Amino acid sequence: MVNNLSKAVEKKTATGSPLIDIEDLKVYYNTVNGVSQAVDGVNLNIKRGEILGIAGESGCGKSTLTTALLRLTRPPAYIAGGKITFYPEDDNPIDLLDLDGPQLRSVRWRHLSYLPQGSMNSLNPVMRIKDQFIDVMLEHSEITRFEAEKTIPELLRRVGLEPYVAKMYPHELSGGMKQRVILAMAIALNSDLVVADEPTTALDVHIQRVIIQMLADLRDSLGMTVILVTHDMAVHAELADRVAVMYAGTIVEVGDVRQIFKAPKHPYTQALIGSIPRIGGDRVRLGGIAGNTPSPRNWPSGCRFHPRCPHAMPVCSQEVPELLVSDEQTAGTQQQPLAACHLYTQPGSGGNHHEQRQ
Amino acid sequence: MRRFLLALGGLWNASRKVQAGVLILAFFILVAILHQPLSALIGHGRDPLALSEAAAWQMPNGEHWLGTDRYGRDILAMTVTGLTASLEVGAIAGLLSTIFGVIVAFVGGYKGGRLDSILSGTTDVFLVVPSFPLLITLSAYTSRVSLFSVAVILAIFSWPFAARTTRSQVLSLRSRPYVELAKVTKLNDFEIIFQELLPNLLPFIGVGFASASLGSIFALVGLEVIGLGPSGILDLGQMLNWSQGWGALSLGAWPIFVAPVFVLAMLFFSVNLINIGLEEVYNPRLRKTAGA
Amino acid sequence: MNSVNDMNSMIELNDVTQVFHGAATRSTGGEFKAVDNVSFSLTAEPPQILSLVGQSGSGKSTIARIILGLQKPTSGSVTYRGKDIYKLSGKEYDTYRRDVQPVFQDPYGIFNPFYRVDRVFWTAIKKFKLASSREKGLALIEEALHAVDLRPEDVLNRYPHQLSGGQRQRVMLARVYLLHPKFIIADEPISMLDAAVRVLFLNILLDFKQKYGMTTLFITHDLSTSYYVGGEIMVISRGKIVERGRVDDVLVHPSHPYTQMLLASVPIPDPDARWHEKVMIPGEEEEPVVVEQPDLEVPGSI
Repeated sequence: MVNNLSKAVEKKTATGSPLIDIEDLKVYYNTVNGVSQAVDGVNLNIKRGEILGIAGESGCGKSTLTTALLRLTRPPAYIAGGKITFYPEDDNPIDLLDLDGPQLRSVRWRHLSYLPQGSMNSLNPVMRIKDQFIDVMLEHSEITRFEAEKTIPELLRRVGLEPYVAKMYPHELSGGMKQRVILAMAIALNSDLVVADEPTTALDVHIQRVIIQMLADLRDSLGMTVILVTHDMAVHAELADRVAVMYAGTIVEVGDVRQIFKAPKHPYTQALIGSIPRIGGDRVRLGGIAGNTPSPRNWPSGCRFHPRCPHAMPVCSQEVPELLVSDEQTAGTQQQPLAACHLYTQPGSGGNHHEQRQ
Repeated sequence: MRRFLLALGGLWNASRKVQAGVLILAFFILVAILHQPLSALIGHGRDPLALSEAAAWQMPNGEHWLGTDRYGRDILAMTVTGLTASLEVGAIAGLLSTIFGVIVAFVGGYKGGRLDSILSGTTDVFLVVPSFPLLITLSAYTSRVSLFSVAVILAIFSWPFAARTTRSQVLSLRSRPYVELAKVTKLNDFEIIFQELLPNLLPFIGVGFASASLGSIFALVGLEVIGLGPSGILDLGQMLNWSQGWGALSLGAWPIFVAPVFVLAMLFFSVNLINIGLEEVYNPRLRKTAGA
Repeated sequence: MNSVNDMNSMIELNDVTQVFHGAATRSTGGEFKAVDNVSFSLTAEPPQILSLVGQSGSGKSTIARIILGLQKPTSGSVTYRGKDIYKLSGKEYDTYRRDVQPVFQDPYGIFNPFYRVDRVFWTAIKKFKLASSREKGLALIEEALHAVDLRPEDVLNRYPHQLSGGQRQRVMLARVYLLHPKFIIADEPISMLDAAVRVLFLNILLDFKQKYGMTTLFITHDLSTSYYVGGEIMVISRGKIVERGRVDDVLVHPSHPYTQMLLASVPIPDPDARWHEKVMIPGEEEEPVVVEQPDLEVPGSI
């Protein structure tokens, strides 16, 4: 544990460098009625030490994206194209899609950990908690069994659990407790990346706050990177540094969390932010989004949001807008916003735009 | 109705196993339905099952495709007739036991409470009582009994299975939101059972019927092989009994043994194919492509 | 007594308690009190929206089922216009069913998958004798669909699986419109819907109150949606109502510690208003499945 802690201090200085580079990722499903293009050309960069939120409603492809990132894609889903490059600290870049079984196992936990929804279980149901810790630690580091066992009480305490949880089985723990055990394992191995999938759903509300705080803490005191996938925009507001908004299998906007909430660029993001009820203040009718979510077997032509967009122009149904960077700086952020919308690609539509993946 | 046929058509298309199973089963059922004209055809105008018309113990030849038995009866004709009788017994016993079992299951499962306790208890008693020894005892008293009576007796022992499994399905469905919605729309218990629950359980009950029928056929075969069971009826089990009693195999006269065994095996196989095929269609994990 | 006075249609819960027995409750001594001495009333005049807010397992869904007559309380009573709903005459029972209608949580389970979606309308029309001919019935259905912003051609000949979750819940609201009840019991109607669709649904509920005078009991775990619809609120924890009042008071200046805790746990959708204090919630809420273990929280460790 001492080794890990000093390594953690070191890690912070590498903050900001690229950790994962997703290039043109496509993940499709074979269905009886045709091919479902759940993830269709996603480009995303994840930087070390940040919390990147991936937001979107059901059917947008965010779960498919994260399972592909974790190499958990199973038939009938398949990777139809693209590349996912992982940049470990002291090693050469790895193409995650290229790894085989044993290589994948060594990458898991040490570099990538997965925090599923509270009700799901990525813990082995027939092993006690402490045995799972030991198992995972022995596989990924050089310490002995005895040393591994000694670190467990401290790890549990760190996530707010009593030491004797170690002797329990997963089914004896509540959803929130299981979440924290997995976080403790990620801490033990100093994972580079934690992918948290809807971490607050299906948990009691006060535990949600604890989990949210713990995820923030992973970034703040340990320098871990977190990918936060949730449809709940308020959780992004609490936690994320940057937010990528997904719609219909593609990323429609990426930006600093403040910019996304205060000055969203893409009409979909604007509508999404405009549908969040808040407590306090004047009571005002919110707008929602007209129309229905499109089907992944038959995405609309051009910009996929055009059938529901209040600003739709003729070009929108013809050409797919690219994710472009705008030169304008939103006050108070260091991040230049990216949006895939023809409102910004037309010449003279405000600000200079050029293609650059941030 | 149209939707039902479309759904069936979809199932047919969805699985080769289902296609194979259905074809085999359909073939046998067709043979059974047409057994009389087929018999006439086999006998070339004469009754192929008349005693001592033809030479005994013939091996398969041009005139008797499966040879003849001890009394010179054509074995192919016997198989066709036997198949018909077996399927009849299976169908009647399956129908009776399914209807009775389903009624018990719906009434008990939906109403719950004391009524359910009584009905479930009764079902359990029937389940626990060893059916085969009882069947044997009963058949000792029924050596000259009609096919229908045999079917009834077999149904008495197979209804609890249908009742048990259907009841658990009813239990899972009765707390569905659409049932609660029906209640607040003033539907009474009967309307809920028939309009809300029954349609969703039809496939399940259908499979139960197929299993009960098949089970009854095999129960009857089991009885006849050991010499019990109604002797007046020519069915597949009876053929097996004769093959044993006459020492057919030691005489080298294999058709009278092999034919019924083959038919029974194919019946069993075809129903299993359909079951496995259906399971693959409905359980996405066993498939390679996702469903609609 | 105003029991027959139409002007004062009121549903009252009087000391309603619901105790469940069974194997699943062995850890708590064989019985589980889902609802503990709950009393409140819903009035039709003036129409109101009353939120019942609590976490899962707090008893709020049980209360909904008790009011709908789907679950008989262990003790206490639900009265409508002064009469116990289990003691109503045939005609009064019909009236109760007509005046009180639900919207349930699960847009998938609410339709019988065997039938088309329009069956829910026709069953209601038939059972409540809402139309004398097919044409009149069809006209009522189309009017109901327009009231919830659905086009009849998008919905009427479809099967449930062909509609989205949001569309299905709106069909349920159209069914409610068709019946024009005085009271809507909405049990977590939007928790399984996407964010944008939730707002549309809530707007329809608000319209139903303002334009058609329907009172809604809005059951939810999401405090911000309760704030959005306004009106009155009751906070329930473990079967007991711990706080009640106007939404603007309770959610902005909560007095009960449980309400305060709930509010403190709701993430605020504003990146400039993040939580600064780290809280470590003391004991009681986080109970493992094995009840005998003492609490597992260690204060101040993060």
